[in-house]
Amino acid sequence: MELGIIALATLASLGRVLALILLSIVSGWFLSYFAIKSRKFENIYISFVNIFESIPVIGFLPIVLVVFITGLGGTLGVEVAADFLVFDAIVWNIWIGQYQAFKTIPQPLIEVSENYNFGWWGKMKSLYIPFSYPRVSSDIFPSFADALFYIMISEVFSVGITSYKAFGIGTLIVQATSVGDLNSVYECLGVLAIGVVVITLAFGNFSKYAVAKYGLNTSTEIKRHVRYWRPHIRKWRAVGSPTFQFAQYTTKMRTGRENIQSAMTKVRTSRSFERTGKYIGTAIAWLFLVFIGYSSIQVMLSVPHSLWVSYFAQTPNLLYQMGIDYVRVLVVTVISFVFAVSLGYYLAVHRRVSIASLPIIQTISAFPAPAYFPLVFAATAPFLAHVIPFAETEIFVMILCFLGTFYYVFFGFWVGVRAIPVEFLELTQNYKIGFFTKMRRIIIPATFPYLVTGLSSTINSAWGGLAVAEYWPNIFGNQTLQVHTGMMKVISAGLVNGNIGLAAWTSLLFAVVVGVYSIVFTRNLMDLARKKYVIEEGIYAA
Amino acid sequence: MNTQTLNGSSETLGEVQLECKDLAYSYSASHVIFKDINIKTYTDELVAIVGPSGTGKSTLIRVLANLIPPTAGHVFLNGTEVKTPSSRISLVHQSIATFPWMTSLDNVKIVLRNKVKDDEATEIAKKMITLVGLQGHEDDYPKEMSGGMRQRIAIARALAASPTIMLMDEPFVHLDELTANTLRGDIYSILFNPENELKSVILVSHNLHEVVQLADRVYVMGGTPAQIINEIKIDLPRPRLEEEPVFYEYVKMLYNDLIPKESKG
Ligand SMILES: Nc1ncnc2c1ncn2[C@@H]1O[C@H](COP(=O)(O)OP(=O)(O)OP(=O)(O)O)[C@@H](O)[C@H]1O
Ligand SMILES: [Mg+2]
Repeated sequence: MELGIIALATLASLGRVLALILLSIVSGWFLSYFAIKSRKFENIYISFVNIFESIPVIGFLPIVLVVFITGLGGTLGVEVAADFLVFDAIVWNIWIGQYQAFKTIPQPLIEVSENYNFGWWGKMKSLYIPFSYPRVSSDIFPSFADALFYIMISEVFSVGITSYKAFGIGTLIVQATSVGDLNSVYECLGVLAIGVVVITLAFGNFSKYAVAKYGLNTSTEIKRHVRYWRPHIRKWRAVGSPTFQFAQYTTKMRTGRENIQSAMTKVRTSRSFERTGKYIGTAIAWLFLVFIGYSSIQVMLSVPHSLWVSYFAQTPNLLYQMGIDYVRVLVVTVISFVFAVSLGYYLAVHRRVSIASLPIIQTISAFPAPAYFPLVFAATAPFLAHVIPFAETEIFVMILCFLGTFYYVFFGFWVGVRAIPVEFLELTQNYKIGFFTKMRRIIIPATFPYLVTGLSSTINSAWGGLAVAEYWPNIFGNQTLQVHTGMMKVISAGLVNGNIGLAAWTSLLFAVVVGVYSIVFTRNLMDLARKKYVIEEGIYAA
Repeated sequence: MNTQTLNGSSETLGEVQLECKDLAYSYSASHVIFKDINIKTYTDELVAIVGPSGTGKSTLIRVLANLIPPTAGHVFLNGTEVKTPSSRISLVHQSIATFPWMTSLDNVKIVLRNKVKDDEATEIAKKMITLVGLQGHEDDYPKEMSGGMRQRIAIARALAASPTIMLMDEPFVHLDELTANTLRGDIYSILFNPENELKSVILVSHNLHEVVQLADRVYVMGGTPAQIINEIKIDLPRPRLEEEPVFYEYVKMLYNDLIPKESKG
C-alpha cells in the first residue's frame, strides 16, 4: 500500500471524527441553552439524551446501515451511515456535558449578564460558551476514543456478497488484514498512531488551556478547601492535571449556594408540565426504536412467508442467545468496574504516577482496539487454542469489549475521586478507616454519580464491542473469529450470509428488550444517584 | 412608623430615587418570604438593610433588581415603574461575579458593549478601574488578583454601567477582615464621587459595625413573613470612628432590634 494513500485515508477518518465532534459541540451549545431556558424543552431533551445514551444503537448497526444504503443509495448512503455511527458514538456524552456545565454556572455570573442586558448572543458569547469550555475539553476525550473504536465497522460493511466501503483508514486496515498483508497493517497502524497521538496531545493542551483560562479559580474561591490542605497535598495539587482542576471546580459548583435561580424556576413550573415534557422526550427515543422495528418489519416483509414461520419458531432460542450476550455485557462491565476502581483510586492518590501515566492512558484508550486486534488475534490464537481450547473465543471477545469500554468508567471514577473533598480523605486517615470500609462507605458513594454516568456508557459500548467481536469474518487472512452462541453474531452473520430476515427479526426482539431495559433500569439508576447521593444538581456535575 | 434616631434631629431628605410599594415574594403559597415591603432611597443616600439570616434580604435585593419578579407590589425608579433588569439598577454580588476568562479591563468593559464605541468603553473602564484604586491591573485576570481586588473590579463594573442605584448584597463578606476594612474605608467616597451618576446605594449586611460606618439610614427586616420592623437614621458625621461612644450606641440599637423579642431585657 502506498504511504500517501494511507496518510490520506487517516486524514479522512480523523477528519470525519473531528468534524462530527465539532458539529456535536456547536449544536450542543444551542440545545443546552434552550434546555436551560425552557423547562418544557429541557424535559424532552434530557429524557431523550439519557435514553439514547443507554440504547446501544451500534447493536442495530446492520439494520441502520441497510436503511441508509437502501434509502440513500451507494456511496452517499455508506458515507452517511458511517457519519451516523460516528455521530452516535460521540454526541450524547458531549451534549450531556454541556447541559450540565450550563446548569452549574454560578448564579452571580448569570445575574450579571441579566443585570446589564447582555442579550441572547451576548450571554452565549461572554458567559455560556466560555463557561462550558473546561467541560467540553474533557468530554471530547472519551468521545474521540469511542468514535475511533467503531472506525472499522462504520467504514466497511457487507450485506450478502455486496461490500460497501467508505474511504478511510478503517477500510484500508480491513483490506490489509483480510489478505494477511502484515506490512500494510503495520504501516496503517503506524500512521493512525501518529494521528491519534497528535490529536490526543492537541486535546490535552486545549484542556489545560481551557481549565486554566475558563475554569473558576477554585483554590482561592473555596476557602474551606485551601485552609485545611497539608503542604505536600497543595504541592501536587499545583501541578495537577486539568482534569483534576476540573473535578475541583465541579465540586465547587455542588457545594456552592449558587442555585437559587434554578431552584426558583423549578418551583415556578408546574408538575404536569414537567411530566408532559418527559413523556414527549421518552416518546421521541421510542420513535427511534419503533423506526428500528419498522425497518426490521420492512425487511422481513421482503422475505418469503415460509421463512417467517421458522423465525418465530427460533424466537426462544434467539432470546436465549440475547441472554448470553447480557451475561457477557455484565461480565465485561464488572471487570471494567473493578479495574477502573482499583486503577482509578491508585492513580488518584498517587499523583506523581498519574501525572506521568494519564496522557499515556488517554492515548492508548483513543487508539482503536479493533484496528490492532487482528494482530493480537493472529499472534495469540494458536497459543490460546492450545492452552484453553474451550474458552478461546470468549477470551478474545472479552478482551476486545474491555479495551473498548473500560476507559469510560475509569475516567468517570477518576474525576470523581479527585472531586472528593479532602476532608473526607483526611477523616479516613484520622480515624484509621480500613481500605474496604473506606471504599464501600466513602469513596464509592461519593463517586456514585460519576460511576453511574460512566457505567451506562460502559454498558452501552460493551454492546458495541460484542457487535464487533462476536462475528468477525476474515479477521486475519481467511480466519474467522466467531462465538458459538450470541445474538450479535446472529445479526451480523445473518447479514453477511444474506439471511437478512433473521437479522431483522432478531433486531426487532432486541429493540423491544432494550426499550424496556432502558426504562426500568437505567433511568432508575440515574434517579437513585440523583436522589440519594448528591445534593442539588450534583448529578449534573458528574 | 417613625424613623428612629439617637438625637431626634430630622433634616429634609432629597428627591426619591428607588421606591418599592407593598412588595411581597413567596416561593409557594405556603411559603411567603416577605410582604408589605415599602422602602425608599433618596439622593446621595446609602441605605442599609439588616435582618436575621434567612429573612429574605437577598431575595428582596434580587426583586429590587428585577432579576426575579415579585409576587405582589411594584418597584419604581424616579417615579417610573421598572419591570425588567436594567443596568440603571446594578447589583454587586458577594462573590465570584467576575468572569474568570476576561481581564479586569474586559470584565468592566463588558457592560458597555453595544452601548458606546470601543475606545470610549476602554476609556470609561480605565477611569473606573482607577477610581477603585486598581490602575496598573487592567490586564490582570481575576485569578491573578486577590478577593478584595476582584470585588473592586465588580464595583468598577457596576459603576461603569453608570447606574442610578447600586444594590450590594454582603459585598465584603468573603473578604478577610483587613481587606474588608480597607475597602469599607474607601467605598463611600468611591460611590459618591461626583463623577458618577450614582444616586443611592442599598447595602445588605450582617456586620452592624459596617452598617453604622457606612449607612445614612437602616431598614431592619424581621418576622415571618418578613416585614420592615424598624427604620433607623444614622446621624453621624463622616468619617465615622468606631472608638466614639455614639457609634457604639447605634450598633447596640441595631443589635436590640435583631435579637428575638422574648430575650430582650
Ligand atoms: N429556591 C428556594 N426555594 C424555597 N425557598 C427558598 C429558596 N431560596 C431561598 N429560600 C428561602 O427564602 C428565605 C430567604 O432567603 P434569602 O437568601 O433571601 O435570605 P437572606 O436574608 O439573604 O439570608 P442570609 O442573611 O443568610 O443571606 C430563606 O428562608 C430560604 O429558606
Ligand atoms: Mg443573603
